[in-house]
Amino acid sequence: MINIDDVYAGLSLLFSDFTPWLIVIPGILIGLIFGAIPGLQISMAMAIFLPLTLYMDFMQAMLFLTAIFTGGGYGGSIPAILMNIPGTSSSIATTFDGYPMSKMGRHNIALGIGLGASCIGVIIGYSLLFLLISPISEMVLKLGPAEMAAVILWGITLIASLSGENINKGIISGFIGLLIGTVGYSEAGVTRGTMGSIYLLDGIPAIPAMMGMFAASELFKLVNTKYLVKDESLRKVSVKEIIAGFKLAFSYPWVLVRGSLIGVFVGSIPGVGSSVANLLSYIQTKRKDKKPESFGKGNPAGVVASEAANSTSEAGSMATLLALGIPGGGATAVMLAAFAMHNITGGPQFIREQTDIVYAIVFANFGQAFLLILLGLMFIPILANVVKVPMNYLVPSVLSLSVFGAFGLTGDLTGPITVMVFALVGWIFKRFDYSVPAAVIGLLLGGMAEESLIHSYQISGGLWSYLLERPVTIIILVLLCLSLFGGKLVAMLSRKVAK
Amino acid sequence: MNISISNHKIADLLILIVLFSLVSWYAYDAYSASSHIVNLILILPVTAIVLVLCTVEFLSTLTAKALVEPEREAVASVLPVISLFVGYVLTLSWLGFDVGTFIFISLFMWLHGERRLVWVLGYSIAFATSISLFFAAMLPYPMPMLILSTAY
Repeated sequence: MINIDDVYAGLSLLFSDFTPWLIVIPGILIGLIFGAIPGLQISMAMAIFLPLTLYMDFMQAMLFLTAIFTGGGYGGSIPAILMNIPGTSSSIATTFDGYPMSKMGRHNIALGIGLGASCIGVIIGYSLLFLLISPISEMVLKLGPAEMAAVILWGITLIASLSGENINKGIISGFIGLLIGTVGYSEAGVTRGTMGSIYLLDGIPAIPAMMGMFAASELFKLVNTKYLVKDESLRKVSVKEIIAGFKLAFSYPWVLVRGSLIGVFVGSIPGVGSSVANLLSYIQTKRKDKKPESFGKGNPAGVVASEAANSTSEAGSMATLLALGIPGGGATAVMLAAFAMHNITGGPQFIREQTDIVYAIVFANFGQAFLLILLGLMFIPILANVVKVPMNYLVPSVLSLSVFGAFGLTGDLTGPITVMVFALVGWIFKRFDYSVPAAVIGLLLGGMAEESLIHSYQISGGLWSYLLERPVTIIILVLLCLSLFGGKLVAMLSRKVAK
Repeated sequence: MNISISNHKIADLLILIVLFSLVSWYAYDAYSASSHIVNLILILPVTAIVLVLCTVEFLSTLTAKALVEPEREAVASVLPVISLFVGYVLTLSWLGFDVGTFIFISLFMWLHGERRLVWVLGYSIAFATSISLFFAAMLPYPMPMLILSTAY
């Protein structure tokens, strides 16, 4: 199952030269900082620093971005534990028991538990990815353009239906994203939606648009906030107690394993990711515990369950990205953009032809987990202070950074203008509860979805009966319908049974 | 049918009308460019779904009973920042990244309550200069600048 030659090639890619590792440490630190600042998302950090990867080779770029991903996964737990503010959506369940622990004066222990569970989660998640990537790649090689189109539509529908309360608005966002992704020259040789502008002939610059929608629009929401955290009491940090908490995480082996398994499988479903995985893991742990009433009052198992799941879901979403070329959420959407910047197309072909790189990414993440322990222990005392930075300094600085980054990507003012336009679009979408992640992923996949449909049409000769020869496509389309209407169907049947 | 209209509801409905119009315009533009199936294979069905969903959402919003108003920040409080950001981006070609960034950051800080002039000027000059120099040195193409050199 595991190709030993590719394993050796992957290891030599990583260890023949020390330079790829030089960017891992700053990557983890960036992730930790952005994760530790509530309101700044991991995807935002990755989008802002994406232009820097232009100066790296593909391997370095992947190491840098996965390092931000890994650091951010834990960074979000710092404000969740200390201030009851989840730094990222993946740390929501961490607040349930982490903050009560802080109020009891056990915040150092909770921070240590979070760090331990996160590191173990990353190792378990990527171990599963290492074991399963070969069968996954064999399976996905059987997917043709019809299946890819169906998977893209299913993925966007899932993301749209799970990323907000209003499914209709979620689907509207995702599909509008798809349409925006088709602006410019088509395969038929005509231009659409360019309004006569030569700057739009190649389409909307996807990465600046993503930076605008993720980063800038979020910052507009924060402009009226002076300080995210004012209360400085009980914020002293003890490294000794953090280490004790780190060791304590290992005394919950089943919670760790269960959380990791939930994380990796839920994380691999496009659109669900770590935001849902941490909650599911927490609920399961509480349900299985002998004293469920102790949860929400400072039970360390609650922190372990949440942190193990949210860090493991990183590997799950990476599996979907590598195997299908479909991002599971905001962070992997940025990675997909990095793939495009290095002229690499994720998906079945990538896994088959670049297995060594896939293994190298997996091994690098094992290394990152250990580096996270060291860096976490060193920087937690500093990071806990990051939330005290006044927003009137932070917001304009990050906005400027995104404008500079966008200019770096396009080489002219098209990039900054795209950031500006999509910042407004993103702000309006957020304000009116339209899903920004669904729109961004639609924008990134619009071109690919159209290409897959055109190839299917050309292969089938325009005959619908072609679908009957593609059972996988039918299964995916059925899953798409179930993910949209399954809940309502079950509710309707239950009502009938009850009558 | 009892229809109650609040400001939030009007805003929600207006957004739906704008989205409906933009998507319709895009489909029309694509159809005008070429009515061949290869050109419309994705655009037409996706447009149809979006238009149907917009209509459904419009009707359900219109007929919904008065619900708890969603908590949204006041537009008036965000508008100055959005205007400042739009102004910053649109004047970059004249002011350059160095001066434009300095003005944007200092005005932003001033607008949001920082009244210590030394801090406002000191931070905005330091940040604008360092980031402009960093990107000018990193990028292979010249950056618009007013004072600093366009390339290093």
